[in-house]
Amino acid sequence: MADTPQPELVTITLNGVDTEVRKGQLLIDAAEQAGTYIPRFCYQNRLKPVGLCRMCLVEVEGPRGTALVPSCTQPCTEGLVVDSENAVVHKAQEGVLEFLLLNHPLDCPVCDKGGECPLQDHTVAYGPGESRFVEEKRHYEKPIEISDLVLLDRERCILCARCTRFCDEISGDSLIEFVDRGNGTQILTFFDEPFASYFSGNTVQICPVGALTAKPYRFRARPWDLEAIESISMVDSVGSKVSVQTSQNQVLRINGVDSDTTNHGWLSDKDRFTLQAIHSEDRLRVPLVRKDGELVEASWGEALELVAERLGSVRGDEVAGLGAARSTNEEAYTFAKFLRSVVVTPHMDAQLDDALSDEFLAATLNRAEINDLETAGTILVWAGDLKEELPVLYLRVRRAATILGATLIVIHPRRTGLSDVADHVFTYRPGEGADTLRRLKAGDGPFAEARQALDSGPVMTIVGRTGGAEDPRLAESVAAFARTLPDAAIMPLARRANVYGALDMGVSADLLPGRVSVRDTEGRTALEDAWGPLPEGRGKHATEILQGLKSGDLKALITLGADPVGNHPQPALAGEAVESAEFVVSLDTLLNATSARADVVLPVAGFGESEGTATNLEGRVQKLNRIIPPPGQARTTWSVLDDLARRMGATLGAHDAETIMKEIASIAPAYAGIDWALLDWGEGRDGVVLPGPDGTQPLQHMPVETSVTATTGRFTLHLGRVLYDNADVVRNSPSLDVLVQPASAAFHPRDLAVLAVQPGDSVRLAGDYGTVELAVRADESLAEGTVYVQANMDNSRALGASLIVQVDAVRGEGS
Amino acid sequence: MSQPHILTRHMVANRTDSNTLASYEQSGGYSALRKGLNSMTPEQIRAEVKASNIRGRGGAGFPTGVKWGFLAPAEPRYLVVNGDESEPGTFKDRQLLERDPHQLVEGIIISAFALNCAKAFIYIRGEYPKPARRVQRAIDEARAAGYLGDNILGSGFSLDITLHLGAGAYICGEETALLNSLEGRRGEPRLKPPFPAVEGLYAKPTIVNNVETLSNVPWIVNNGGAAYAAIGPERSAGTRMFSLSGHVNNPGNYEIVMGLTWREFIYDLGGGVPDGRELKCWIPGGASAPWFTPDLLDTLVTIDDVGQNGSMLGSGAVVVMDETTNVVHAAHRLVRFFAHESCGQCTPCREGTTWLERVLWRIGHGMGRPEDIDLLLDVCDNISPGLRWPPAMTTICPLGPSATAPVNSIMTHFRPEVEAMIAANELVQGGVSIG
Amino acid sequence: MSFMDTIGLGGFKGFAVTFRQIFTKKVTRKYPDEKRQKPQRFHGRHVLNRYEDGMEKCIGCELCAGVCPARCIYVRGADNPPENPVSPGERFGFVYEINMLRCIFCGLCVEACPTTAITMTQLFEMSVTDRQDAIYTKNELLVEPDGTPNHSQPAGPLIDLNELKLSDGWMRATSPAGRAAYEGIPHWPGSAGAGVRPPERGQRSDGGEV
Repeated sequence: MADTPQPELVTITLNGVDTEVRKGQLLIDAAEQAGTYIPRFCYQNRLKPVGLCRMCLVEVEGPRGTALVPSCTQPCTEGLVVDSENAVVHKAQEGVLEFLLLNHPLDCPVCDKGGECPLQDHTVAYGPGESRFVEEKRHYEKPIEISDLVLLDRERCILCARCTRFCDEISGDSLIEFVDRGNGTQILTFFDEPFASYFSGNTVQICPVGALTAKPYRFRARPWDLEAIESISMVDSVGSKVSVQTSQNQVLRINGVDSDTTNHGWLSDKDRFTLQAIHSEDRLRVPLVRKDGELVEASWGEALELVAERLGSVRGDEVAGLGAARSTNEEAYTFAKFLRSVVVTPHMDAQLDDALSDEFLAATLNRAEINDLETAGTILVWAGDLKEELPVLYLRVRRAATILGATLIVIHPRRTGLSDVADHVFTYRPGEGADTLRRLKAGDGPFAEARQALDSGPVMTIVGRTGGAEDPRLAESVAAFARTLPDAAIMPLARRANVYGALDMGVSADLLPGRVSVRDTEGRTALEDAWGPLPEGRGKHATEILQGLKSGDLKALITLGADPVGNHPQPALAGEAVESAEFVVSLDTLLNATSARADVVLPVAGFGESEGTATNLEGRVQKLNRIIPPPGQARTTWSVLDDLARRMGATLGAHDAETIMKEIASIAPAYAGIDWALLDWGEGRDGVVLPGPDGTQPLQHMPVETSVTATTGRFTLHLGRVLYDNADVVRNSPSLDVLVQPASAAFHPRDLAVLAVQPGDSVRLAGDYGTVELAVRADESLAEGTVYVQANMDNSRALGASLIVQVDAVRGEGS
Repeated sequence: MSQPHILTRHMVANRTDSNTLASYEQSGGYSALRKGLNSMTPEQIRAEVKASNIRGRGGAGFPTGVKWGFLAPAEPRYLVVNGDESEPGTFKDRQLLERDPHQLVEGIIISAFALNCAKAFIYIRGEYPKPARRVQRAIDEARAAGYLGDNILGSGFSLDITLHLGAGAYICGEETALLNSLEGRRGEPRLKPPFPAVEGLYAKPTIVNNVETLSNVPWIVNNGGAAYAAIGPERSAGTRMFSLSGHVNNPGNYEIVMGLTWREFIYDLGGGVPDGRELKCWIPGGASAPWFTPDLLDTLVTIDDVGQNGSMLGSGAVVVMDETTNVVHAAHRLVRFFAHESCGQCTPCREGTTWLERVLWRIGHGMGRPEDIDLLLDVCDNISPGLRWPPAMTTICPLGPSATAPVNSIMTHFRPEVEAMIAANELVQGGVSIG
Repeated sequence: MSFMDTIGLGGFKGFAVTFRQIFTKKVTRKYPDEKRQKPQRFHGRHVLNRYEDGMEKCIGCELCAGVCPARCIYVRGADNPPENPVSPGERFGFVYEINMLRCIFCGLCVEACPTTAITMTQLFEMSVTDRQDAIYTKNELLVEPDGTPNHSQPAGPLIDLNELKLSDGWMRATSPAGRAAYEGIPHWPGSAGAGVRPPERGQRSDGGEV
């Protein structure tokens, strides 16, 4: 996109030395870049400066003599003369620290922050040796629970306002605030309203003292116990940079690391606290084999022999593979190679037909990077609720709209987390998306202003499937329109952590490794040179695979970290398919609805346990690191598949993950030149963005079904995701599991009246794929004729994703 | 000793219902408004105010004409009247609001015209219900009479005034905290720059003026800036309201021409100290001002003279203390006020003022230690480095440094007395309970 | 050369030392039947103390583990159950283990402890027949609620439980204020069984300089 202009430089005199700095840059940053660290508490580089703590005072020469000014609010101007190390400044720093410590409880030995505490460190470096305070300290009730995840100790708080500013400026969940004044000032939540934010863990991370502590980490370790390694979060596809911190081979804490390109240091609580699932009691530790209807423990040899024998006993193209969307690229590549060259089947899918098409996700033209949000003039979000699906991307879009002033247009079947900060919000009934798109293109009526905004570029468009029942082709139509806009950048969304990587590795019915279409004979021949003969033609997609298994066309299924029974939009079909399959083998970390019905379950290494790379939603390849061993006998996926291939008389050559990446780089065109040394983490290093495809693959504007009639009782279904759903990682993280709310059926109040039900009553929803009974609630943001149900919940999963559902009020007992 | 009446001319003439529109109009009220709106341009009015040399009556004493000149051109712009008169010992604005609200309303309308503001706010402290009622009534009367609202007196100029009551915080007298409070935020001072004249209320250019300052505007418009500047010394032009309280025979509000001596003010006007007791010290300009001792009785009451002697006229509150005053208790009361009123935003003020208060309490209650004197001075130094005048500060706003003024004053002028007080009391060991 | 020439007069001279020592008092003790009086600050086996009310002193802060040069201490903290607290405050030592095979008895753990939870006793006989037994767990280290120390093995000629009661003469070498003398009230709490310890030579509890 647009080049950033060369910054204007000015000369300041810092401690007697002339230094060139960027004009207008904050003094505290400029000094740090020049090698002079100025102590601070309230200043955080991603938050607006407020100058509260007064720790960063420096002496600045002004027209009326020298004055102490906070360097966090002082912009650099030409000729600024600054002294940050003279006696006056030191006296002020010492004074501020003494003030801060007056009422600080000094319970450092029991405080989680002790050992990594800026207040401790600054006191040693800049503080007085002793306190002269002989009075009684301020007392508050020791930690109070301000949410299910966070505890607040007001005695330790130094009132720097980092947490409140994060909530106001970054997350938008303004749920904590200063109350009272003077010596009694404290941080509190509002009455009866807990600090229930998806981003609460960030406040714990940026708290400069131990005032905010997170329950999952509380008292689990001291900082000097911890070993840390940089990696990326595998909870969603943003690829947020994290620091994985362990002690005694237990992952105890995951902190965000500031990466300019992805997460700016922030994480969602799901990124942060699903680490509990790594050490779940239910982790698979030994291979399981079904004997007499029961899964029983078996040796690796026994289990693999059985798998090799059963897979060898059917035709190659009677076998299908599902999964790899949460595996590393190396694992996904091995999976694809195993299926295509050892089993010799074209039937595989990294997705479960619940997002967008493989080719669209892998090879969108004008592919956007997350950082395009920083320069975007207008942002169009026509996707799922980002706050619920990709929370860190939500933060970045919110930043662009509120702090950077981009015009934000949000189109979704109901209000989303971004609606409050959006300039234009449109809601529509699922199924009428194409009509909405047509009206937006025409600038019709209420769309006029938004259409005009789309003419002032650069325009960044984020497209995705707004709900499970939405036609996936709608997003492609939106993208086709978006490509006509000035300086267009398009980001197609899928949620699972490495779905983009898995597709790039060829775990797809349509794609070979490196974004090569199966129809591309040239690419196919090149691959055959390396892999040997490949199965003919296009393979089956997830739904076709399940149908094939059900009908008997397919005999065996291999899943890799996938749960079609739990997650496929047609749950009944998935269940029947797995039941009718002759043989199902699952490679997974936890037993799920699918692997619990498998014939063989092979335990594999998960997050933090295997090394590799992953590709995020902007095509950025980043390094995942290993810091703990897998539990029990669990092995890395690629070594399991390599072993299996050998037992089936073939060889995969997967000796270690780095070698696999070298092979990928030599085979997958898009990954040419990628190697691990290039991806090593370090200051300012954040992976490599793959080159986008050349402009040879125009997107078609697909016509989308618009005719939905809302006769009485017939509603269109908006099956939207929420952050804490029935995902395995949430269910196996006790801290998050309690936050999962059961699904409900939301209607527009007028529809409630038509149906003659009250919030709290129950309705029965009957769709093409299943029937559920849910409690009713009102949601004014929905279009009439729409029912909104949270996807992937215990009580909503059976419904499946059919666009039209029949709604009936449940009468009788209890109502 | 007779003093002219400018601000108080109307309430002196009518001692019963001077707050009504009828009474105000009877004594020539709103003639300045007619003159200003009908025969002068905003530039001319601004020039007259600048020529009057009037300096802000809220405390800082910044020349009003200069301040008006800083108003940024962006639209909309606001005029905010600071009626949050909370400085201990100050009660002059109360009288102006209660007894002559129309004078203020007229001043606001003229000033808003001069500054081209279509919206003005009056912020009155919540503890002033009666003044607030009378101001509201004056606004209503003025609107009914056509002095407020659309197209005032056919001039094409429109103005609306909104009265807002504070919720009881001294800090809201600080202009940026006042603006926060007016916006519905916590009353916490903002960082400057940007100054309100550039980015004030709702981030728009805003002028914040004191009640007394704007009450002078009708007279200035009627009589000309030069006439006003001619009253009193050059750099302390005009008359000024002082609230005299404490150990004097005639406490109350005084409108005086600056330039007289403190002796004349306290003894001739104030009637001296009761019962023939000796004057010990006085606060020349509100709780934030360093104290004066009798050796300064013959210095002049002007903004500059007081400043040169290391204090300020501030909000015009003169508190007189006689020889029976225990300076530690007096300082403790003042510091306790500041500790109670600290907004809690920045560290030195939040922690430091309370610490000072607690140490003074200990000394006052027989639990002082000899090292407490140096401790107090050093804590003051950490809030206001160098303890110089005008004060330097490590804080965001001057509230913290204000709390150091009484402490520094008693240590400068009465240190032997404090030392004797500490020496006379045995150190009470253990179990110190701090109230 | 004759025998006498060989040993010469020097031979007798050499034995003179031996002969002289035959008549001096012997330093060898009949250990373990007879035991020496050990210095007051002897660094023997550790104990975990309780407050006089029976609460555990250890708060699981891991400072001992952090400072230990032999890395022989393993501590894990946990949230104190509010209804039935183990120690005063929010956190208590949930796991406490010392590997005596690695311990070098330097006493830095005692020095680092902010609550005087860990002190050393005069017991040094800790021979074991199984390496596992050399890892002392919290059960063995923690004194009984009345202050009586525990031991993993029954008393015998080699294990004098009374020596476990003789906590070493350690006191914090520096006060929080950085001076060798204590200020104001003593900065160490009383222990179950031992009460508040009197100050030693070189320490004052009355706030004065030594």
